[in-house]
Amino acid sequence: MDEVKVGVFLSDCGNQLSKILDFDALTNYVKKISDVTLVGRRSEFRRGEGLQAIKNAIESEKINRVVVAESLPKLSEVNIVQAVEEAGLNPYLVETIDLKHHCAWPHRETPKEATEKAKAMLLAAIERAKLLEPIEKLEFPTLKSTLIIGGGIAGMQAAIDLADLGFEVNLIEKAPFLGGLATRASRFFPTDDCAICIQSPVSDVKTITHTSRKCVYRSGFSEIPNLNILTTSKVVSVEGVPGNYKVTIEKKPRYVDEMKCIACDLCTTVCPVEVPDEHNAKLKTRKAIYMQVPNVHPPVYVIDESVCKFYDCAKCVKICPTKAINLDQKSEQIILNVGSIIVATGFQEWDSSVIREYHYGDYPDVITNLDLARMIDGFGPTGGAIVRPSDRKPAKKIVMIQCVGSRDRRWKPYCSSICCMISLKHASLIKSAHPDTDITLCYIDIRTTGREHEDYYERAREMGIKFVKGRPSEISRNPETNKLIVDVEDELLKRLLELEADLVVLAPAMVPAEGTKELAELLSIELDKDGFFKEYNAKLRPTETKLRGIYLCGGATFPKDVPTASLHAHSAAIKAVKFLTTGKIVKDQRTAVINEDYCGDCEFCPVTCPYGAISLEETTEGHFVAKVSDLLCEGCGICVGTCPLGAIELRHSRPSQMQAQMKGLMSVNGTSKPLVLAICCSECGHTAVDSSGMAMMKYPANVRVMQVPCTGILQVHQLLDAFKAGAQGVMVVGCKSDGCHYEVGVQKAEKKVELVRILLKEYGIEPERLEMFNMVYIEGNKFAEAAQMMTERIEKLGQLQLMGGS
Amino acid sequence: MIQGEEEKTASLEFSEIVTSRLGGETIRRCYQCGTCASSCPVAKITERFNPREIIKLSLLGKKDEVLSGEAIWLCCSCYNCQERCPQKVEIADLIYALRNIAFEEGYIPNIYSDFASALLDDGRIVKISRFYEDKRPALGLPPLQPTGVDALRKILSATGFDRLQQKEKSQ
Repeated sequence: MDEVKVGVFLSDCGNQLSKILDFDALTNYVKKISDVTLVGRRSEFRRGEGLQAIKNAIESEKINRVVVAESLPKLSEVNIVQAVEEAGLNPYLVETIDLKHHCAWPHRETPKEATEKAKAMLLAAIERAKLLEPIEKLEFPTLKSTLIIGGGIAGMQAAIDLADLGFEVNLIEKAPFLGGLATRASRFFPTDDCAICIQSPVSDVKTITHTSRKCVYRSGFSEIPNLNILTTSKVVSVEGVPGNYKVTIEKKPRYVDEMKCIACDLCTTVCPVEVPDEHNAKLKTRKAIYMQVPNVHPPVYVIDESVCKFYDCAKCVKICPTKAINLDQKSEQIILNVGSIIVATGFQEWDSSVIREYHYGDYPDVITNLDLARMIDGFGPTGGAIVRPSDRKPAKKIVMIQCVGSRDRRWKPYCSSICCMISLKHASLIKSAHPDTDITLCYIDIRTTGREHEDYYERAREMGIKFVKGRPSEISRNPETNKLIVDVEDELLKRLLELEADLVVLAPAMVPAEGTKELAELLSIELDKDGFFKEYNAKLRPTETKLRGIYLCGGATFPKDVPTASLHAHSAAIKAVKFLTTGKIVKDQRTAVINEDYCGDCEFCPVTCPYGAISLEETTEGHFVAKVSDLLCEGCGICVGTCPLGAIELRHSRPSQMQAQMKGLMSVNGTSKPLVLAICCSECGHTAVDSSGMAMMKYPANVRVMQVPCTGILQVHQLLDAFKAGAQGVMVVGCKSDGCHYEVGVQKAEKKVELVRILLKEYGIEPERLEMFNMVYIEGNKFAEAAQMMTERIEKLGQLQLMGGS
Repeated sequence: MIQGEEEKTASLEFSEIVTSRLGGETIRRCYQCGTCASSCPVAKITERFNPREIIKLSLLGKKDEVLSGEAIWLCCSCYNCQERCPQKVEIADLIYALRNIAFEEGYIPNIYSDFASALLDDGRIVKISRFYEDKRPALGLPPLQPTGVDALRKILSATGFDRLQQKEKSQ
């Protein structure tokens, strides 16, 4: 490489900083540092003429390292780095520091000390800059196709969005028909219109206005040219990397040719097998060849292979006028190559039979909300009549029970969030169709938090639906009258009630759909403590996962009503578009690199990497070395902090660079207080230092700040080296324990700090000289207080004595 | 209703005290769903006992009302409430904790006081009457042996039970 020439650019903020810092002294100091060939000073360097000055220096003075002292580097760095790149220098050869917020402002009352600290900061930045190396940008090709798992409302909505934009979309559904829970739910709040209704695709020629919303069967959904729908299908394996996934699908036989079936219903008239219909809460029967309800999609019959007699009967085959039935159909494996995957597997009702005192599954007249929805549905098994399943007589007295399994530490501790609205909707629909029905709803708390949701509660009260605040303890049955009795305390009256009922409707907890766990394992993505798919960040990235290219939407992440699931689906679609649209992922190589001479045969780093970016590759027989995927590596350095052999380094934060920085910061004291090194992660830790400076909070100038990508990168010997470099005390400042931007880095750092404290004690050094702190951006005051506290603590402990001097 | 500063301080302390006692740790989980009350065989026959109400009063800091009342002594310890509580509040154990606090504070129904004296005197909470002694041989049972009352007294002394009982008597 060429000779190193460092250009240093000092911004004095319109001469405001020079009121505190002695800029002439700083300039003279910097000029004397080896390899510094140019020192510039202006009001600012982050825009306009300032940027031009940096460019000129690169182009005419041939500087090849740029150190900029500018306020708010996190804001200005983007411009500076761009300008550097435009001038033809690798943009990663830039080091920025903040003399304003990290030095001048917090130490404004001790200007001499501040100037000395500024010298140390500049020396550290320059020494680190000298060791920086150019970093390349890599491109990884991505396929412009996507796989959506789950054909409920969310999956269908995301499929339409992506297909409309021209991407190749594969939608798979494990059931024989699309629609998911919506096909059973009848009507939905807050509109009380049909559940099975979607925004239709633009490819539908009959869609003439943007306001169009249609039943799935008339939406033209199946005719979208670039949408491939696979029913009776599930994922069996997933290989590959973001942008290039190879997914194997197993498609079970339908035994009916989708291209030939004309839905004439002749087959069901001859089929001799009759079984209870699960889809209709077993309130009616269906044949072995069947269609769920007449408006399902695809409008093609299916044979239930668990009950069909096949060639012992084959009556349907003979009668089918289009020869659509093929009893020899076999399961087939389909390979899909896709760039991204959207998980939309939804949720389901929890099995309430576990709560034995409620006798669900035991007393036929104890049903769930979904069962009740089938009765409310005009297409349903009772044609809209509300009956007791035991004798089919009209149910005149209904008791509804909320929170069955939800908000229950024994089963599902969370509030399932939609059940209050479902029950209120059901109660009012029944009451308006059959006003003489007596309905009592037992609740712990009624939760109607959405827009227009409280209207449902209001309407229900106005209609005469009774409310009892109390969770029933037991349902029993009078063997003579066959009526049910619900024991509940009305807490507001403090009176025990025995409510008589023809029908008891439970509102069970909503739980992840069957197969969620297995799918999570196939995709290597995480589930939350309740078993739902876990989003990357619940606040800001609600549809993303830890893996680029895999997205989540709908009830797969938590029970949702249709408006929310639909919103979630659109959001996942736009994320997938952002990922797919360019056909490539551009990523720089600020990643981990393995020194194969040292690496071998341990498995620490692949296990520790939160992103699955490290794998082991066999070199000679029985020996392994680690390999880093530059595509998956996020550059946190947790592997660096974990490697027992020092065989991994981050290209942009090598131990040598960190060492130089550390020595620089400890090179000049200039205060009467002991030097304290604050090692801050680049996320919350370092921004907390920013915010303390922005708010002009004061702390002493002996505290020096060093930035690392994540505190997880720190190695035991590095923390010890800090003392050797001259620190009398060391602070490690990371994100909150459960809020690490790299998942687990800060937790690793916490453990390492504990370990080093034990070691310090062994060496006869007070362990209190090292302390871990966790804070976020808005806790600038916490940083200032911690810096003050550490300084006082170290002052009390006195000078650190190291063998061989410091 | 909570009235005045004095009662406010007292209230906070009581809820804290219950939480710190063995069996009382889970009281603050209660969200007043009433499953306990409607599961309770005692509450079914008398309004004088309602576990939900006891918890609510305790949470609101109605210490004297809870400790001096008869309610906490009416629990039959069937553990139905505890089995069914959706928040895993250990209700029956909690009632024991409240009884212990009541005992320490000098609130104790006479019958329990008598049990305690009997226990200290001869190691049994119910005195063995001639009636039972006479029946035993006819049923082929051996005569009752004296209890190891010395060992028991040591335990009761080590746990502070005898001192508490003395305190009760003097009050």
